[in-house]
Amino acid sequence: MKNHFSFSAASRRDLLRLGLYGVGVSAAALPMPLFAQAAAQLAGQAKSSGKILVVLELSGGNDGLNTLVPYGDDAYYHHRPNIGIPRKEVRPIDDHFGFSRGMAGFERLYKSGKLAIVHGCGYENPSFSHFTSMAYWHTAAPNSGEQYGWVGRLADAMAPEAPPNFLVNIDTRQSLAVRSRRHVPVVFDDPNKFSQEVFYDEREALPSANVNSQIANPSRRFLLDTAQSAKQASALVREAWSKYHSPVDYGVAGLDLPKVAALIDAGMPTRLYYTAYRNNAFDTHVFQNDTHRRLLTYASDAVAAFLQDLERIGRADDVVVMVFSEFGRRVPENVNLGTDHGAANLMFVAGKQVKGGQYGTIPSLSKLDAGDNLVFTTDFRRVYATMIAGWLGLKDTRPLLNGDFQPFDMFQRA
Amino acid sequence: MLRRVEALGVLIAAVAAIAVQSPVANAQTAGPAAWQSDLKPIAPADWNYDFAAHLLERAGFGGTPDEIQALAKMTPAQAVARLVRFEGADASHLPPFDHSGIRDPGLEPFPASRPAVTDQAKQTGEALGIQVKPEGSRRLQPVVNEFFYWLRASALETNRVCYWWANRMLTSPQPLREKMALFWHGHFAVNEAKVRDYRKLLDQLELFQNQGTGNFRDLMVAVAQDPAMLTFLDAGVNVKGAANENFAREIMEMFTMGVGHYTEKDIREAARAFTGWNYVDLKFVVNQDQHDDDEKTFLGKTGRFDGVNLIDIILQQPATADFIAGKIYRYFVREDLSPELQKQLGSVLRDHDYQIAPLLETIFLSRDFYSPASVGTEIKGPVELAVSTFRKLGLENVPGVPDFNLATGALGQRLFAPPTVAGWAGGKSWITPGLLLERANFGRDILFPDINFLPPDRFAADPEIRHVADRIRQGMDISAATKPDGKSGDLAESNMAADRDEDFNTRYGSFRGWQMAIERVKPIPRATAQINLSRMVLDQHLKDTTQVVDYMIHRFMRVPPGEEARQKMIAFLTKELGTTDISVAQTYLEDPLRLVLHLIMSQPEYQLG
Repeated sequence: MKNHFSFSAASRRDLLRLGLYGVGVSAAALPMPLFAQAAAQLAGQAKSSGKILVVLELSGGNDGLNTLVPYGDDAYYHHRPNIGIPRKEVRPIDDHFGFSRGMAGFERLYKSGKLAIVHGCGYENPSFSHFTSMAYWHTAAPNSGEQYGWVGRLADAMAPEAPPNFLVNIDTRQSLAVRSRRHVPVVFDDPNKFSQEVFYDEREALPSANVNSQIANPSRRFLLDTAQSAKQASALVREAWSKYHSPVDYGVAGLDLPKVAALIDAGMPTRLYYTAYRNNAFDTHVFQNDTHRRLLTYASDAVAAFLQDLERIGRADDVVVMVFSEFGRRVPENVNLGTDHGAANLMFVAGKQVKGGQYGTIPSLSKLDAGDNLVFTTDFRRVYATMIAGWLGLKDTRPLLNGDFQPFDMFQRA
Repeated sequence: MLRRVEALGVLIAAVAAIAVQSPVANAQTAGPAAWQSDLKPIAPADWNYDFAAHLLERAGFGGTPDEIQALAKMTPAQAVARLVRFEGADASHLPPFDHSGIRDPGLEPFPASRPAVTDQAKQTGEALGIQVKPEGSRRLQPVVNEFFYWLRASALETNRVCYWWANRMLTSPQPLREKMALFWHGHFAVNEAKVRDYRKLLDQLELFQNQGTGNFRDLMVAVAQDPAMLTFLDAGVNVKGAANENFAREIMEMFTMGVGHYTEKDIREAARAFTGWNYVDLKFVVNQDQHDDDEKTFLGKTGRFDGVNLIDIILQQPATADFIAGKIYRYFVREDLSPELQKQLGSVLRDHDYQIAPLLETIFLSRDFYSPASVGTEIKGPVELAVSTFRKLGLENVPGVPDFNLATGALGQRLFAPPTVAGWAGGKSWITPGLLLERANFGRDILFPDINFLPPDRFAADPEIRHVADRIRQGMDISAATKPDGKSGDLAESNMAADRDEDFNTRYGSFRGWQMAIERVKPIPRATAQINLSRMVLDQHLKDTTQVVDYMIHRFMRVPPGEEARQKMIAFLTKELGTTDISVAQTYLEDPLRLVLHLIMSQPEYQLG
C-alpha cells in the first residue's frame, strides 16, 4: 500500500490551508519548518497520488441505445420503429454510431479523444429492479449480499487510516456506493448550507462531538460519528464554494459537477467523488424521446463543461469521470413510445488522460436474450477495475471486487 | 481575555458542584434487555411516564409533559387503544382542505410534456382548452402559458396541501392517523412532479388518512385504482397486446412481497391482468377493450385474472404479510429485526386478515417495543423532527417561517416529493454530515426566524423566472428578455435549444405561468412560531439554571446528551443570564432560553426518538 496520505493530522490541516487560502497568507501564519514540510508534501502529493475519480450515476436506467445510436444497424430501427432516432438526426462518430442530437458535449469530447465508450456493460442474471440492480452496481457484488459500497471499499483500501474528507458524496442522502467500513463520507447537497449557523455567544457551548466508544445505543454512536465528520468538513466545503467562480457554462442542470470542481480547485484532499443525476430521472417508460434527449443534453453539457473547467483550474490531468446507469433498457420499444427496464448498457469514461475511443464488444441487436434484452459482453466490474488499477494505481483489484476483472488499457500514462 | 476564560472555568466548577446529581441521567428508562423480540404484552405495573412518552413519540409525534402525563395515567391497553383506535379522541373539529379554486376547463388530460402540448396545439389548433392564434408571432404562446400555469399552480397548491397535512399532524387528537398516512405515503410513494395534479394527491392522502389503520387488502386495491398512483406508474397506458410492466413490477416489489418471491414471467403475466386500468380525471375506470381477459399464469395459479384477482393471489403469499408487517415494524420500532420476529409479526397480520390496527396494538403493547433495543434508538425523519419539535413547543399552528416544505425538503423529506418509488429509506439514511448540521439550522430558523424570509409561494426561487420578469418590466421584447446571460466557452446545448421555436417562447411561458399561478393560489399564512419559553419555565417554578437546563433536556429530548454537553449548556445559560438564580433573571429569560433550546436542538442526540 503506497500512494497514501501519510502526513499527520496537523500538517494535513496546514496543507488544506495552503490550498484554501493561498500560500502567502498561510506562510505568514505558520512556523517555517512546518510550512516547508507541508509545501513539500503538497508538491509530492500532486505528482504521485493526486489522481481523482469522479463517479456520475445516471439514475433510473439510461437508454443506451438512444444515447449512442447504432444508426448503421437496421435491427435498431426494426426494434424501434417509432422511437428510433433517425439517421439524419444523430451526431455521427463513425459509420455505425452517433450520439443523440442533444449530446454536442459528448460528441466534442469523443472527437477530441477524451471520451472512452465501453460497450455491453452488465452482469450475469441481471435484475430488472432499479433498487436491486443499482445496489449491485453500488456494491460491485451482483446477486450477493454486500453491505459496503465499492467506492467505500476503495477508500478503505487507498487510505486505511481514513483521513478526513477523502471521500465526498454530493447528494441529499448517502449512496450505498460510498458506504465504507472506515471512512465517514462527506455527504452534503448545498455547500452554502453545509454549516451550522451559530450566534457568536453560542460557539463555546456547542457540542464538541467527542465520540465515546462506550455508548451502547448504536444510533447515538452513529450520530456522534457523523457530527465529528461534519465538523471536519463543513468549513472547508463552504470556503471552497464561496471562492469558486467559474465562467464555464455547465448548462441548465449542471448536476453537481461545479461543486466537485470547486472542491478540487480548493485543494480538498478528496480522491473519490460520487454524484448522481438524481431521482430516477432516466426511467423513461412513456413518451421518452423529448424527455430523454433533454436528460442527455443536461448530462452531456455538464460533463463536457466539467472537463473544460478542470482545464481552467489546471487539474485536467488529475481527474477522470466515470458515468454509469443501473441498467440499459429493453431493446424493442413499448407501446407507450418508451422503453422498459433492460440489461446491458454503455459506460463512459471522460478525462484528459483518457485514451478516447470504444472499448469492449458491441452487443448484438439481433441475438437478444429471452426477455428481448442486450446480452452483456463486458462485466461492469472490468470498468471498475480499470478505474481502480489503471487510474488510481492500486495493484490488486481482486480483494476489492471479489474476483478477477481485467482492466482496460484506457489511460495515457500509467 | 485570559481573565474571562478563568472566570468561566470557576463558573463551570461552581455549577458542576451545585449539580451533584442530574435528574436527567435516569430519565430515559426502558424495560430489561430480555424483553427484546418478546411480543408478549407489558403488564399494567410496568407502565410509567417514560413508557408513555416513548409510546406517544412513536405512535404519534411526541407531546408536551401534560399530554404524556395524561397517557401515563391510563393503563397501557387504554393508552394504546386511544392512539390506535382513536378511543376518546374526537378529531371532527379539524377543518377540511381549503381549495384555492385553480382548475380551468380543458386541463384534463394533461399532456406528458411541454413538447407534447405544443405538438397537439400545432396539429389540432388547440390544447389545454386554449386556441392557437390564427395569425402573428408566437401563436402558441397562450397555450404554453397555460401549460406552465398549471404546472406551477398544482405545485403551489400541493404545498398548501402539505401545510394542511402538517397542521393535522401537529394538532390532531389522533396523531397516529397522520403518522400512519405518512407511512403509507412513503410506502406507496408518488410525487407531485410526475402526477402534476394536487387533487389526485389530496385524494390519495385522504385515502391513507381514512383507511391507513384498516384492512391492507382494501388499501392495496384502492391504491392500485387510485388516479395518483395510476399516473405515477404510467399504468394508464398499459394496454392489451403490449403490457407496460412498471405498474405490476412495483406492486410486487415495492408494495407487497419484495424482491425474490416472483419471476420476470410473473411480472409480465401480472402486467396483462392490469391492462386497461385507467382513470378519467379523478375517477378510476377499466377500459374493457384494452383489457387482456385471456388466461394468465401467475405465481403458480392459472385463470382469466384481472388486477383485483391478482392482488388477492399476492396477499395469499406468506411473503406479503411478512413484508408489510416488517416494514411497519421498522417504521415504528427499530431498523433491525430478526427474521423470526418478522415472521411472528407477519402471522399477526395474517391471523387478523390483514387488519393493520391489531398489528399496531400488538407492537405497541409488546415488551419488545419497550426494550432497550427499541427505546431512544429511532432516528427521526425530517417531518417527524419538525412536527415533534412543534408539538413539544406547544405550538397551535405550523409556522409559516421557515417554510415547512422547504425546511423538511432541505433535510431530505419533502411531502409529495419522495426521491424514488421506494419512498424514503429512513433510519440512518436520514443523516449525513451535511444534514446533521442542517437540522440544527432548522431549529434556529424556528427560534430566531429569518427577517429576510421570502415566501416561496410568491417569490420565484428560479432565478431565470425573476430575470425574465425584470427584463419584461423594463420593456424589453420577449426574445431579448429571455436570452440567457453571457457565459464563456461553448454555449451549452440546452441553453441554445431553449429559444429555437418561433411559435412560442418557453422561458416567457415559464415566467408568465408563475405570474398566473401566484394570482390564483391562496398564500400560505406566514406567521412565525409563537414561542414563550419564559412562561414554560416560570410555570415550573424552577429555581436555578441547572434545573432549567435539566427541565428543557427532559422536555425536548428522549435521549439526554452527554454530561459534558449538559454542563456546557448550564454554564452557557448562567453566563447569558448573569446569574444562576432564575428569580433574578425572570424579566429577560426569553432570549437566553431560546439559545439553550437551540443548543439542545444542535445535539446529535436531539435526532433520536
